[in-house]
Order: sequence, then structure tokens, then C-alpha cells
Amino acid sequence: MSPSGRNIVIPHLGRVEGHGGIFVKVVGGTVHEVNMDIFEGSRYYEALLKGKHFLEVQGIITRVCAICSANHTVAALTALEDALSVRQSERIHTLRGLLLLGATIESHALHVFALALPDFLGFDSVIAMAAKYPDEVAFALRLKQLGNRVQELVGGRAVHPINTLVGGFGKLPGHRDVRAIRDELASALPPLLGFVELAASLDVPEWAAQPTVFVALRPYEEAFRFRGVSICTSRGEEFPLAAYRDVIREFTVEHSHAKHSALVSGETYMVGSMARLKLWGHLLKGRARESFERLFPRGVVDNILLNNWAQLVELVHSVEHGIEVCDELLGMPECAREMVPYEVRAGRGVGAIEVPRGTLFHEYEIDDEGLVVSANVVTPTAQNLANTERDLRAATEHLLADHASIDDGQLRLNLEMVARAYDPCISCSVHVTRLAAGEA
Amino acid sequence: MSKPKVGIFGLTGCAGDQLQILNCEDELVRLAQRLDIVDWVMVRSDNDHTCRLDIAFVEGVVATERDLETLKEVRARARTLVALGTCAVWGGLPAMHNEISRETLEREVYHTQLHFLDTVEALPPTHFVPFEVKLPGCPMERHEFLRAVNALLVGTEPELPLFPVCWECKAREHLCRVVHFGEVCCGAMTRGGCGARCPSHGVACSGCRGPVEEPNYDANVTMFADRGISWVEIARKMSHFSAPVWMTQGLEQEVRREPKR
Repeated sequence: MSPSGRNIVIPHLGRVEGHGGIFVKVVGGTVHEVNMDIFEGSRYYEALLKGKHFLEVQGIITRVCAICSANHTVAALTALEDALSVRQSERIHTLRGLLLLGATIESHALHVFALALPDFLGFDSVIAMAAKYPDEVAFALRLKQLGNRVQELVGGRAVHPINTLVGGFGKLPGHRDVRAIRDELASALPPLLGFVELAASLDVPEWAAQPTVFVALRPYEEAFRFRGVSICTSRGEEFPLAAYRDVIREFTVEHSHAKHSALVSGETYMVGSMARLKLWGHLLKGRARESFERLFPRGVVDNILLNNWAQLVELVHSVEHGIEVCDELLGMPECAREMVPYEVRAGRGVGAIEVPRGTLFHEYEIDDEGLVVSANVVTPTAQNLANTERDLRAATEHLLADHASIDDGQLRLNLEMVARAYDPCISCSVHVTRLAAGEA
Repeated sequence: MSKPKVGIFGLTGCAGDQLQILNCEDELVRLAQRLDIVDWVMVRSDNDHTCRLDIAFVEGVVATERDLETLKEVRARARTLVALGTCAVWGGLPAMHNEISRETLEREVYHTQLHFLDTVEALPPTHFVPFEVKLPGCPMERHEFLRAVNALLVGTEPELPLFPVCWECKAREHLCRVVHFGEVCCGAMTRGGCGARCPSHGVACSGCRGPVEEPNYDANVTMFADRGISWVEIARKMSHFSAPVWMTQGLEQEVRREPKR
């Protein structure tokens, strides 16, 4: 097979959420073109929100994406409460935190074990993997289910929560249920640490390595948290949340229904587990810290394939911190319903949170009757697309340089591994985001 | 009986119904043993995209030309076609504002017209091809999916509840969101099967399972309006999932004639 003048085409990327493909054109040993094609249909959610009452926003915007539904919910509520100047009570803040941890456990468990791990163990799917690793797959499913149970307890449903409202919750979970979840989280921790050992024993290839700029939110307290107060980059810059449109430049490209993003400098960047560990990994505690040191002995190195292990570290953190959060809730008096009172008025608000795939921004403007004037959602997958293409290019170049005779099948598999490592959520990325006025 | 060949497909949507299949964690391994899942892009990387299928599951709406092609291909390949979720059965939220042109939506969202965008009015797959089984829900209920699979495996017709959410809510003795709280609750118009999940959390039904057979929209509208809820609000809330566009558009026309309160 000639190493020059070839097209690597992955028409429909498997084991990711949504519809996308990869196209790479190589001429004479150099990579000429790399496209991550996103052909998921547009649903125009932001336009559909216009004119809706702010109380209806959550039930609509959560449907942008199923796997990320709890995250979109919390981001939307945070933004709306910012617009209305609602101050969350301690209980509501804590419960929402638990909801985010449940969503992270479910999403990471699905991605690390069912979507990514088959690549490293040599299977085409988790179904095939189950034949050789039945206990591991059974535990992975149990962990995923536990993430769902947390979301059901707090959000009322595992997919598209219904219990989460502006200013509070419809129904608060009772102590008995919280205690049961706490015990399950505690019993999930030891087998999860076994997976850390399994991951540490696997080789992560070097051909995907490439220097990257990482972006993540500064946690709201001096600890590893999924909610933050400002936007930080791995180059030491820091920006206020409300300035996100100035920090992140969005643009359209012809092969994608999802917009691409870059920093104002024009550089692409990565958001997600690895970015969070790069910036805030030193804040991890307990077993999560040990797992971080075990899987990243030299700290976070720039190789996107390690994002799978970064998610594993965050899984340990989410289970461990979930136990603490349950304990906090159990320390509060039991009550059936809690709503912070607020007045409807015109305003604009931004909600930014760290979700399994990276930083998610929601922004809403409402008028004095509470109707939505404008809405904007910037998803992590859309932010990562330009960087994914950059990594696909580097990986192709490294692979061709190291193994001139590499066949198309192997190249395709390796490129799929790069794309999958980002855990792309294509439904989210094509919801679709709005350009800042005048930028078109 | 040999294992039926199965394909699972997502058109444009949130992938929530495919996720609900994966959320059957306790049954997933047994499902994989009883079904020969040969084409499922979300879960497998090595798929057979052309073979005949005994059962095909489809979720999402048709929102691109490509979606329609996929749907027709799947229909041609499958003996039994099953619609998963409200998008596939009724169109769901993506079809909520089909009265707005795609050009307008494109301008709103991308601030420009993109010549490369593949976009058509969002319609449910059931609008284009016949389906043997339709499972509503946003997302669909796991137990309804498992029961449907069981029925297909033993060769019987899957049964779905014919009663509305309102009936399940009354049976659970929740306080009525309309009578006690004066809210627009779509429970009386919406197909049951969710166990009245939202009212049990103190939240009105948004109608996410789509309309029950022969819903009485007019009586519901009157019931809400009699409690002083404006027709604008009624139309807005009913338009999410419950009522077809002609119904809520008709309401909005009425609203224009309505004297100011």
C-alpha cells in the first residue's frame, strides 16, 4: 500500500453520542486536510426558547442532550437565577452539587468503560468485552446505574430531570434515601480503585501527544469542584465568567453543523477532565489524589488519550465527594420542599459549570414579564472540535512518520481513539450555539 | 427461536432513548444475549449497515435530508420497525415551532444563512413510513421498552396504557395541579405510563409522552381559562408536547381577539 496520496475516511464514528465522521487527506506523507464532519441535524433550541416563560426553559433546554441533561439543567437554572438575582440556599446548592456528581458518575462510567476501554483491550464494543471481562463489565454497569440513581433521587428522573426548578426543588429527597445512596457510593469505591490499577497497567501510546492549551473554571472554593467562579487557562490567564463571549471566539466551518471555537489569540484549546486535572488536580484529596498520582505520575502530560484516565480519576473523586455531600445533606434537618422566594424582573444572567466533557456556558436575557428575549448555549464538545482536528492531524503525522507502512484500518482505529478520547457529545454541539452579534 | 437481528438507530435528537436502553443496566447483558445487535453506531464501532433486520428501533426526528434517507433505508431493511420516544412518534420539542421557517431559525441561531446546512422542517419518522410499534415518552420509559422487546420476542403485540397521566395521578392521590394550584397541567391530555412522575414531584405535567387517544383539547383549554390563566400561557404550555400546532395556533388567533383583562 502506498503511503502517499490517500484519504482516510471514517463515515460514521462509532461509540460516541451523535452523528459525526472523520476525513483525513494525506498527500506525499504530509497531511493536507483534516475534517471532523458533524452532520447531526440542527434543532435550533435557542431560537425555540425565544418568547417562552423562564420557568419553561429548563424543561426545554435539558432536551438538547440526554447524557448531559442534568448538566444543562443546572447550567440553565444557574444562569436564570443569576438573571433574577436569586440566592441559592445552602441545601439547594448542595443538592445541585450532588446532581452534578451523579451525572458525572453516569457519563464517565459509560464513556470510560463502555465506549473507550474496548479500544485499549482490543474489542469492538462493550458487548464483546463482556464475554472476556464479565465482572468488570458488571461493575461498570453497576456504577453507571448508581450515577443514574443519584440523578433519579435528586432530579426525579435519570434522563431529562423534572424535579429541578428555578429557586429550588419540587420535592426534596428524604434522609432514608440519601443514606441508602451514601452507602452504595461507599461500597462502589473499592472496586473502582481496582479499575485504576487496571488502567495503570495498560500502555497509552505516545502518537497522540501534542502540546495543548487547557481551559477550566476556577472552583468556587479551594477544592476540586465542578462549579466555578472564573475562566482560567493553562497559560495563567483568568477571565470573569460574564466575559465568556470575549474569551471564546466561535466561528462556522463548512464541514460541520456545529460551530468551532478558539481563544482570541486564535489558538484552539481543550476543555474536559484533563483540563480540570491540569489546572486543579493539586486540589484533589483522598483516594482521588492517590489515583491521580498513580495514573499521572509525571503530572498531566499533553496526550489526549489520557483524558480517559483523567475521567477515571474524576470518577473516584465523584464517588468519594458524593459520600461527603450525602453526609452534609444528612446533617441538615429533613424537609419536604424548599423554594427560595424571588421576584420576576428583567435581567441577563450567565451560568457556567464544569460538566463531564468540559466547560458549559448558558446565558439568558429575560424581560420584565419573565419571557426569554435571548438565549445562548456554548457546549464543551463544540469548544473541543477545533482542537480535536488539530490532534487528529498530529496523530496522523506521528503515525505516518513512525510506521510508513501503517494500513488504513489501523490508522482509522487510531484516529477514532483520538476523537473518542474527547468523549464528544455531538447532540450537544449541534443544538446549536449563537454567534455574537455582528460576528457573522 | 434463533436470535433476531437487531439494529438501533438515532436520527436527529438527544439520543435519550438509546441512552434509556443503556440505562437498563440490570437487563443489558441479557438483552445482548437474546438479541443479535448487529448495527448500533452509538455502542459498536464495527457495524453491518446493510443486512436484513428482524427488528429496527428508531429514535429522533427527521430534521435533515440525510435523516430521511437513513429512515427509508432502515424501513427497507427491517421486518418490524419500532419508534422510540416522543420525537419519533410525535415530533417532540424539535417540531414545536414548525410554523417558523427554517430560514428564520437559521438567521436566529447562526446569524447568517449557511449554504452547506442540511436542514428541513422537523417531523416525526412516523410521518414518512409506517411503524409496527410506537413507544412514546421523553425519554421513553425503560419498563415499556423491555416489555415491548419481550412481546416482540414471543411474537405478541406490545401493549401500552390507553389512559391519561391524569388517571395515574388520581390513583396516587396527588393534589391536582389544576384544581389546587391553578396551573396548566397537561396530564388529562397526555398518555399515561410514567406513573404521573411530574405531579408526584409537585410539578405540572408538561405532556412529554404526547397526546392520549382522542384528547379533549377544548375542555382542557376551558378548564384552564376558567381559572383565570391567560390564553397565551395556555397555548404556550400546550404547544410543547401535547397539542398539535393547529390547536395552539388557533388559540393564538383567539388571543388576538381576546379583550385585555
